[in-house]
Parts: sequence; structure tokens; C-alpha cells
Amino acid sequence: MTPVIPGEPMRQGVMASSAISIDKLTKKFPAPGSGDEFVVLHGISLTVDEGKFASIVGPSGCGKSTLLNIIAGIESYDSGSVTIHPKAGRAGAEPRIGYVFQSPRLLNWLTVENNIHFVLEAQNVPRQRWRELVAKNLEMVGLAGQERNYPLRLSGGMQQRVAIARALAIEPDILLMDEPFSHLDAITARKMRFDLMEILQRARPTILFVTHDLAEAVFLSDNIYMMNTRPARIFKQVGIDIPRPRKPEDSAILDLEKTLVREFFSVVEVKG
Amino acid sequence: MASGLKSIGLRASSIVVLLLLWWAASALMNDPQVLPGPLAIGRTIIADLKTPGPEGESAVFDIAITLARIFLAFFAAMIAGIGIGLAMGLNRIVERSLLPVIPLMLTMPSILMVFLAVMWFGFSEAGGLVAVMAVVTPYVAVNMFEGTKAMDKSLIDMAVTFKAGRHLLVRKIYLPQLMPYIFSAFRYAFGMTWKIVALAETFGLKFGIGYMFFFWFQQFDMTQVLAWIIMFVVLMLVLEHGVFARLESRAFAWRNSYAN
Repeated sequence: MTPVIPGEPMRQGVMASSAISIDKLTKKFPAPGSGDEFVVLHGISLTVDEGKFASIVGPSGCGKSTLLNIIAGIESYDSGSVTIHPKAGRAGAEPRIGYVFQSPRLLNWLTVENNIHFVLEAQNVPRQRWRELVAKNLEMVGLAGQERNYPLRLSGGMQQRVAIARALAIEPDILLMDEPFSHLDAITARKMRFDLMEILQRARPTILFVTHDLAEAVFLSDNIYMMNTRPARIFKQVGIDIPRPRKPEDSAILDLEKTLVREFFSVVEVKG
Repeated sequence: MASGLKSIGLRASSIVVLLLLWWAASALMNDPQVLPGPLAIGRTIIADLKTPGPEGESAVFDIAITLARIFLAFFAAMIAGIGIGLAMGLNRIVERSLLPVIPLMLTMPSILMVFLAVMWFGFSEAGGLVAVMAVVTPYVAVNMFEGTKAMDKSLIDMAVTFKAGRHLLVRKIYLPQLMPYIFSAFRYAFGMTWKIVALAETFGLKFGIGYMFFFWFQQFDMTQVLAWIIMFVVLMLVLEHGVFARLESRAFAWRNSYAN
């Protein structure tokens, strides 16, 4: 086992190394009823540099979640390649992947603390580090002191915070987030986005974030990949270098959002 | 807490009312051959527990025998049922081959199963055990099978994403989700088991509460018959509410929560 280096925030050097590289990834499903195949992902290529925040924006059904599942290693693909590079100091080790789902997916019969222990045990993190990792990550998501509480006693937003703490606790090489705020009310979601920004300043994980909300993507990301359905492919990549901390009402953010929305809907045909 | 006390008070007072009604009826009737009063029954129960009965053993011995029979059959049926149900839930071939058999077993009236078991195995311990297993096991198996089908797939996906091994998956995800099914099967299985054991004892097993009940029935001793019935019912109530209910509320503590 490789020793784990405690979470020193990653400083982005001049030479950014990629944490996720995907090359010409294609995935097909057999179409129901006929012998045909239905192309879910069509030659997807993207890279996310270490410590960067990349978003994939696309209409529902464009295969975004399938892409995340392939990266997470729980779904197969037909051609192309997916490579995940472990963080500096963990070269050659099995990459650690944190995942935040649309719904919290907590184990309601376990306390908050034991929910985090569950993934630490799954990832073979040595037991003597558990207490420190639980405390640090709960504190980071603003839930210090909730260790012994049960998930069903927490609000939806707090449950999703636990899910974020759980994903960060394994000190992931990459963090995958699948529309993590889409199930929350608008006010809670807005607060969560702010808090996520703050968490990122401290933990600096590499993030691949899936959303259908362009405003959210512009506010959070360093890079946006826009995806279309049929064929499911990336049609545009946008780099965002608006300095952080950002505000959703900043004119630079609003202007970019407007431009991207126009561009997005000139390409993507949304079927009711 | 207050509501807990209130419900205990309500239950206690309804039992007191029942006892008073019984006492009033027996006083009015004034015929201990037909309806002895609660005091007479209480005295008989104490005497039965303390002094050797017609077979040379006190009631404590018969209670112990009956309990041993119930628990043996109960655990055998539970283990077999849980095993079969899980196998059906996790394996398609087992599912397809057993699914048509189960309704057949469930339709059979349990009293007929007792007769059949007695005809095949005679008046032996094995007869009682087979009768219980034939009735209870299919029910437990069906419950477990339904439990496996109702498991939340998204949690299993979550666990797989975080690379949880099979052992961890079973311990922290499968079993906790099956607990409500195991407990509801527990309750039913226990109720069925003691009814069938009592029946088997009445029909032909030597010793045990059912056996003594039948003995006094043949003597037409109403006081003793009622005394044994009450001993049996109280014993089962204590087991169901004192033991199982407590285990259950502990296992599901996480559910008594609320969003604030």
C-alpha cells in the first residue's frame, strides 16, 4: 500500500499535469426491439488538469451520467481510452475516485460518521486515520459536531454536504459530481455552490462536474465542455479565467453566461 | 416518553377491566366446573408451577420442554427460510426453480401439515419439527426474497463506485435493508411456530404445555385447562412483546428521526 500524503492543498504550477484524460471514447447500447446499436457517447475527448474544475454541460439524455460512470469504472465502453492519473506522490497507485451523486445516497441506518467510515473501509484507508479524516471533512462542509447524527435527521442540503464530505474523505485523485445540487431548492443550491467554491480553495481536488445548468457551470468551472445529443459529442470547449472568488452576479460571469447560452441553444435542439 | 406511559396505562387498564368482567361473570355463574374465577385459576397456576403434576413433573418442566421445541423449530425454520430466500433473490436459477413451489406450500392449511407430519413421522419430535418447517420456511423464504427485490439499487451502485468489497456490501448494505423483512418474518414465524408446536403437543407429543392441556381436557377439569391456556398465552406474550419488540426497536433506532 502506498502511504497517503495528508491533504496539503495542491499548488498549480506552470506545468499542469492532467488528472483525467479521455480520448475518442465511444459507448453503444443495443437499441431495444431491433438489432441496431444506439450510440450513447460518440468520440468524446477531454482532459482535466490536476486541481482544476471542469464541467460538462448538456441536455438531459446526452450521456453525461454514463460518461461519469465509465470514468468511475462501473460501466464499460466500446472504444477509445480513459486514463486517470493519481496525484503527485501516489504515482502508480490505484486511482482514488470520489463520487457525489444527484441524491445523497447515504446509508440511513448508519450515523454520519459511519457513513464516512464505510467508504474509508471500502478504500482500505488505515483505521487510525479515520477520526482525523471524518473531523476534517465534516468541518470543511460545515457539519462539525454532526458525527453521531443520523442522515434522516438532516435536511436535504445537509445530507448532500455529508455526501460531499464522504467523497472528499478518501482524498480522491479526482472527484466526480453528477448534478449534485439539482435536487435542492434554488436557495439551498445557491448556498451550496458558494460553499463548494470555498471548499475547493482548501481541498483543491480535480473535479469533473456534470450539469444542465450553464449559469452553475460558468460560476464554478475553469473549463466547460458543451455536449449535444444524437450524436452525443462535445461540440465546444470554453476556458474560464475569471478570478476567484467569484460572485454569480459579476458582470464578467453574466456576460459569459449569456454568450454561452446563445451558443448552446444555437446548436442544441431541445425536444419537449 | 409521556405517550409511552400513556399507552402502557391504557393496556394495563384494559387487562384489569377484562379480569374484573371475568371475575363478575364467574361470581354470577357460581359454577367452577364451567367458569372458575381468576383467583382460583391464579392459585392453580402457582400450585402447578410448584408441585409435581400427574406425570410427576411440575409445570416448569413442561414449559421448558415446550420452549425448547418452539425455539429449535423456530430457528431451524428461520435459518432455512432466510437461506432459501436469499438464494432466490441473488440467483436466477434458484429463483425460477423455487418460485412456483412456494405458493403451493403457502396454500396448504397448517393443521393439515401437522396431520401429514404425524402420519409420516409418528408422534415424535421429528414430526413436530417437520410440521413447523413445512409451514414456516416457505413464508420466511418469500419474505426474504421480496426483501432482496426491494433493495435500493442506487446504494449498491454507490458502494461499488467507492470500491466496497462483497463482505462490506453484505454487512452494511444488504443486511440492514433486509432487517425489516427479517423482523416481520420473525414475528410471523414465531407466532406460527408456537401454534403448531401446541397443536402437535396436543395431538401426541409427550410432555409440554399442549400435552398437559389435553390431559386436563380429557379429565374435564376446567380450572386446570384454563390455567394451562393462560400460562401458555402469558409466556408467548412476554416473548413477543418483551423480547422481539425490544430487539426490533433497537434495530430500527435510526428510523425514529425527523428532518429539522
